[in-house]
Order: sequence, then C-alpha cells, then structure tokens
Amino acid sequence: MASVRRKKGENLLVRYLILGGWALFCLVPVLWFLSIGLRPRTEIITPQPIYWPTFSLDAWHMIWEDWPMWQYLRNSVLAILGSVLIDLVLAIPAAYALARYEFRGRDDIAFYILSTRMMAPAIVAIPIFFLFRNLGLLDTIWALMLVYAAINLSFVTWIIRSYMLDIPKELEDAARTDGASDLRILWEIIIPAILPGIITAAVIAMIFAINEFLFTLLIASTPDAYTMSMALANFTGGSDGVIYNAIALVAFLAFLPVFLVVVAIQKHLSRGLTMGAVKG
Amino acid sequence: MARIELQNVEKRWGAVVGVRDVDLDIADEELVVFLGPSGCGKTTTMRMIAGLEDPSEGEIRMDGEVMNEVDARDRDVAMVFQGYALYPNMTIYENIRFPLRMRDVPKADQDRLIREAAAMVELEDYLDRKPGALSGGQRQRAALARAIVRKPQVFLMDEPLSNLDAKLRQAMRVQIKHLQRQLRITTVYVTHDQIEAMTLADRIVVMAGGSIQQIGTPDQIYRDPANTFVAGFIGSPPMNLIEGRVEGGTFSAPGISVPGLSHAEGRAVTLGVRPEDCHVAEGAAHLTGHVYGIEPTGDMTYLTVKAGDKLIEVKADRDFRADLDTPQGVTFDMDRLYLFAGESGERIR
Repeated sequence: MASVRRKKGENLLVRYLILGGWALFCLVPVLWFLSIGLRPRTEIITPQPIYWPTFSLDAWHMIWEDWPMWQYLRNSVLAILGSVLIDLVLAIPAAYALARYEFRGRDDIAFYILSTRMMAPAIVAIPIFFLFRNLGLLDTIWALMLVYAAINLSFVTWIIRSYMLDIPKELEDAARTDGASDLRILWEIIIPAILPGIITAAVIAMIFAINEFLFTLLIASTPDAYTMSMALANFTGGSDGVIYNAIALVAFLAFLPVFLVVVAIQKHLSRGLTMGAVKG
Repeated sequence: MARIELQNVEKRWGAVVGVRDVDLDIADEELVVFLGPSGCGKTTTMRMIAGLEDPSEGEIRMDGEVMNEVDARDRDVAMVFQGYALYPNMTIYENIRFPLRMRDVPKADQDRLIREAAAMVELEDYLDRKPGALSGGQRQRAALARAIVRKPQVFLMDEPLSNLDAKLRQAMRVQIKHLQRQLRITTVYVTHDQIEAMTLADRIVVMAGGSIQQIGTPDQIYRDPANTFVAGFIGSPPMNLIEGRVEGGTFSAPGISVPGLSHAEGRAVTLGVRPEDCHVAEGAAHLTGHVYGIEPTGDMTYLTVKAGDKLIEVKADRDFRADLDTPQGVTFDMDRLYLFAGESGERIR
C-alpha cells in the first residue's frame, strides 16, 4: 500500500514538474517583456547582459502621461468588442442557414465565405481606404469596427457552422414537433448548445482584431482612432528613437485583457476547441 | 383522438426511393408498429407523418384533413426519439415545459401539467436535474413526459427503447403500452425489434425495401405471414426457410423430404416451418442431418441440425441433450407448414 502511495506521489511530482516547466517556457516571453517594460531605458541597450535590472516606472509614466494611452485602449476595446458583436450577429444566422437548410450552391457559398480569408489583405487595402473615405468614416472607430468584423466574419461563420453541424438533428426535430419556429430553435436550442463554440470563435476573433495593424494604419490617422497596435508603432519613429521599454509595456498591456478573458472562460474554451473534433 | 391515413405515399431523394406506395389507415386510439430492418423506410414514413419530411407523392391525412402542407409544429404530433433528444441546456422541468411554452399554454396551467406528466413516468424527483445527470432509462422517461405533457393528437415513437439495456427495455415497453392505453392517443411506433412489435402493437406494419410487406395484428403476422420476408423476420428464432422443389406431392431438398403436399406441383418453392413446429424424431423423419449445436436456455433447448448445407432450428424439450455431429432426425408439424413461391417469395400455402 505504502509503496503504491509513494509511487502515486512521485508521479504527481513529475507531472507538476513537466507542466510547470511548460508553463514557464510559455510565460518567459511575457515576463521578459514585463521586465523590459519596467527597467530604465539606459539598461535596455547594453552590450553586457544585466542579471538584476533596476526597477523603474519611467516607461509606465511616459505612456500614460506623454501619450493618450487611455484613449488608445478605449478605441481598441470598443472597436474589438463592436466587431465581435457584429460578427456574432451576422455569423450565427448565416452559419445556421449553411449548416441546416438545403439550398442550391450551399457548400459553394460556405467555401466562398472561407476563401475570402485566403487572399492577401493588402489586395483590398486601397479599395477599403476609398470606401471608407467616401463614407466619411476615415479615422473613426466605426470604420475599425467594420473592418475587423469583415476580416473575421468568414472564419467566425465557419467555426460556428462546424459546431452546428455537430448538433444532433434530432434535437431540432424534437423542438419542431414541440411547436418551435426556426428562430426559436436557433435561439433556445442551438445557441445554448454551441455556446462553447461561439465563445471560442469570439475569443479568436478578438485576438485577430487586437493584432490587426495594416487596416488600422490605413484608417486611423489621429489619436481619435488610434488603437494599441498603432500605439506600439508610435514608439519606433520620432526624435526619441525606438523606445523599447514603452513598446514592451504597451505590448504587455495589449496582451493582458485577452489573457484575462481567456483565463476567465478557459473551461468553455478548452471544451470548445475540442468539441468539434471529439464527439461525446 | 386522431385517425391517420396515408394514401400512395412515396418519398424520393433524387433517384433514390426511400418509401414507395404506402397505403395505410390507422384508426383512432390504435397503436401501430412499423417493423422492419434498418433502411426499410419505416422511420421515413413516420417522419412524413410528423411533418419532418415532405412526401414526394401521395397524401397524408389526419382526421380527414390533408396534412401535406401543414408544418410539423402545427400538426399536434409529439415525437419520442431514439437518442431521446432532450435539450441539454435545460433542466428536466424546462424540457417538459418546452412544448407548453411553444404552444402558449397559460402559465397558470403549466406547472400542474408538468407535474402530472412527470408523475406518470415517475420522474417527480428529477425535475431539477439536467439531462446529463440522468441515466438512460430516466432520460427516456423524461422524453416520454415531454411528449405526453401537451396531450397531442398523435404519438410518434422512433425506436425509443433501442438505447436501453434488455431488462430496462422490457420494463419501459410495459410502461409505454400502459400509458398509451391510459391516454388513448393514436400511436405510431417504429422498431426493428420484432419482440417489441409483437408485444406492443394492435397492428404491425412490416416494411422492407421501402414498401409495406404486410399489415396485420401480431397474431396474423405470426400465423399467416404473407411472404418469406415476413416469415423470416418474425419469430425468435425465426422461421426455418428451406428452398427445394415439389415433385409428385413430395417436397425435397438435400436431407429433407416432406410427402403429402398438394400444392405447387413441379415448382421451385420455399418450405417454411417454425422452430416450435419441429420435433425431435427417433425413427422415420422429414429431415435427417447431424447435430450442429445445442443451446439449453433452462426452459427449453435450442437444437440446430445441419441437413445438406442448411441449418434448421428446433425448439426441443428442455431435457433434450445430444452430442455434436451425431445423426439426428426431425419431423415437422404437417398442419403448420408454409409454402412460398420460389421466385417471388409469396405465400402459396
């Protein structure tokens, strides 16, 4: 008995060591960034490694006091949340139609939607610029919202559709004979059943949106529409040269909200990421 | 509460014919079982009654009213599915309530109806649970409660017991039949299990290859099978079907010789005899072969005799024992022999 118990304990220890090591491996870049962000500028570009850097809030003060960082953050959050919302409102009904209704060219349409992801974004950069200029939306977060939504819509639709395909058709048949309309089936049966999938799609869309740079650069020309990803670019030009500690700190701040969201919903997310693959 | 008529109903998907030429009249309060192997069209026929599939041809009427264009949700039909199809995100209470909400049953009545339905299937203590926390039998009862709660015109049950273990299946079978008699609701029940069909049905509709083979009471189906398919499908073990010829009033096949037949002279036929109408013979016998297998079940012994390359099942006395490969004679009950035409399989005698 005792030896069995000890063996179990050892197994657990080994498991924790492996998992801990993996966690550290994944976290090193993040901690590295944080460490760069919290040291003085003079300690960043030195030929010798510094093992015990000096702690400094220089970059912290700089980004909040010299730059409208709150506004960037607010722009990012609004544009991203708005775009995800637009995506879900459009993608859920589209995915339902593509998953369940029989109509001519259904699979072609589904594939066409996915194929919009396959071209280089730069191809549509100029048309999009003119489009928003004519709409009078240049340099607004509304334009960012629409662009992010458009970029992500295809795969959000595709992910949600694949989850819907996994729902047993019996459930919908049952609801239909119980007297439910298509809309109520979608709202009361389908959406609750694929919630993990919807959350997964939304989080991935958020990550894409927060990293988006090309179209943001095209549309935003003043702090009115600057986002966190644009803020990063601000620290590379100008008379001060490349301000590495500020870049690191802003990158960390941009990473943090997504990270927190993922931690908060990780149970759904891991279920969502595997649900499509494993029936059960 | 409703009479269901199917007239020349056919279902095609492109060139594939799922169901053809189904003519059926289901009386009010009747329990009709669609029986057949998988792919025989029984579920498709039921789904057409539910309104989940549109017939390609023919008419479906309920109480005389043509239902072809009526949407599933307006048909007042409740369905129980093989996989239960409980809504996973709702509690059992909410599941049973769902059809009431969809049909705008006044809120004041809902709770009472839900509790009545749950009591009928003995699920009162599980109303707060989600389907995932219930056993297979409980889920099936929850699905039944959801179907009976709104007192529909018609019950449709699609292999509702096939995911349950044998013991539970027997108990649920009794419960379903009891509920159906108590509620007096016209019921269509689909199964591939002939025991379920025999025990539950007022009438059985045997289907194969998309068309109806025979309609009749369980007794009629068992005693007067219309063709070799029905004969071979009903009964456990099924009827022995032996191909051979009738010459000079005697049926013969390798190892088998049955004199005294006045039908089908000179024709290829299939002789049918049920295992319980076969008897172990000591002397002269209709069939001589070798013991192939012995399966004692306690109350009887299944004896398998090999004659030529044919295996014949015999229900023998419970004390019967024999060594494998020893010679064994079998006689048939002459009053209970069936003859089917060799080509078409249609019944001759």
